Amino acid sequence: MRLKGIKRFHYARDVEEALSLLSAYQGRGALLAGGVDLARSARGDLEGLIDITGIGLSYVREDGGALRIGATTTLTELLESKGARDYLAGFLREVLRQVAVTPLRNQATIGGAVVSAHPWADIPTALVALGAEVRWVGEREERAPVEELYHQRFRAIFRDAVLTEIRLPAWEGAFAFEKLVRSAYDIALLNCACGLGIEDGKIAWARVAVGATPHRGRRLTWLEEGLVGEAPREELWSWVRGEVEAKVEVGTDRRASADWRRKVAGALIARTLARAAERQS
Amino acid sequence: MKIYFELNGVPQYPEIEPGESLLSLLRRLGMKSVKSGCETGDCGACTVLVDGRAVRSCITFAAQVRGKKVTTVEGLGSVDDPHPLQEAFLETGAVQCGFCTPGMILVAYELLSKNDNPTPEEVREAISGNLCRCTGYVKIVDAILLAAKWKREGRWR
Repeated sequence: MRLKGIKRFHYARDVEEALSLLSAYQGRGALLAGGVDLARSARGDLEGLIDITGIGLSYVREDGGALRIGATTTLTELLESKGARDYLAGFLREVLRQVAVTPLRNQATIGGAVVSAHPWADIPTALVALGAEVRWVGEREERAPVEELYHQRFRAIFRDAVLTEIRLPAWEGAFAFEKLVRSAYDIALLNCACGLGIEDGKIAWARVAVGATPHRGRRLTWLEEGLVGEAPREELWSWVRGEVEAKVEVGTDRRASADWRRKVAGALIARTLARAAERQS
Repeated sequence: MKIYFELNGVPQYPEIEPGESLLSLLRRLGMKSVKSGCETGDCGACTVLVDGRAVRSCITFAAQVRGKKVTTVEGLGSVDDPHPLQEAFLETGAVQCGFCTPGMILVAYELLSKNDNPTPEEVREAISGNLCRCTGYVKIVDAILLAAKWKREGRWR
């Protein structure tokens, strides 16, 4: 436990009470659900913690082919839900199984993953690829595509708001997820989520997001546009490898160099796309 | 502040600090099987079960277990009456220094509560977040597979 200086702990009964408490602390209070990142943070400015696990935001609801996930749903609850089994033929389960380990998934919540959004994290990459929408309540109810949110100072938004729900849209197609790690428990050196819709043997739409570059997951729209209208076959994946290696924006951190990331990103994305295509054949 | 929770089947009403970790509380209550290792949730030595799910007590606030059931290895068995999982660890030689053993046993307990016929790969996945610097893991995997066999044979509690 790195977090020090906590003087009060509250159990909020609903969103309104959580917001009221948050407001009363004027920046010195924090919402707590799983607490995995909060407990490990070295913040010394907090005095109050507000537990929001009892405010009714732990659920997974299927809505046609779409999915609505309450913000305090743990990754294990999501992983074991019928919704995750059914949504895109288990794509979410494929992602979540690769996120940390069971004890941490038992604690961490989907809302925490969205708000923390570490650059190396897998869930933001998957949510960006899926076109997830995030809903929250602050001064009023608001919503935004997660991709748009990540282009703003999103952490500042959630200092005064309760993230309530993540909505995943229905897709007619298939997605796949891959990550490169040194060991199963390590954080990603690169991660990638790809989706394809295939009609009459041609790609009708494509979604490609890559993360841990070392930046947070973002879409490669130039690649998505280049894939539309093409037949999913080996020649196309070779083209993907070359294009990505030439154009992808990557950087160096203590885990991997930009050169290494550039060289493997093409293969990783091509492999993920090929797997998404296979799932529709 | 005061909270109510159940520890190894026994009701508890401890006085806690608002920012205190569950690890700190449990050790104050005498649960010395719960080890303080990395204190950042990475090593697994402090693992306990909360409502049957393995969690890292070092990154859980004590206040978060209000109204919940917490299980430590002390709640599974004792020296005189070990749990089959503990016996399996002894029988296969899966204990060396013993620092990681309580955490290993509790993640194994959660695994076997959901799946009493795991593959070696599933066992390795279940313990992948628990670090052991002595055994090389092979004997630990053997122990959990042996315990699973005993569970299928009805030797369990």
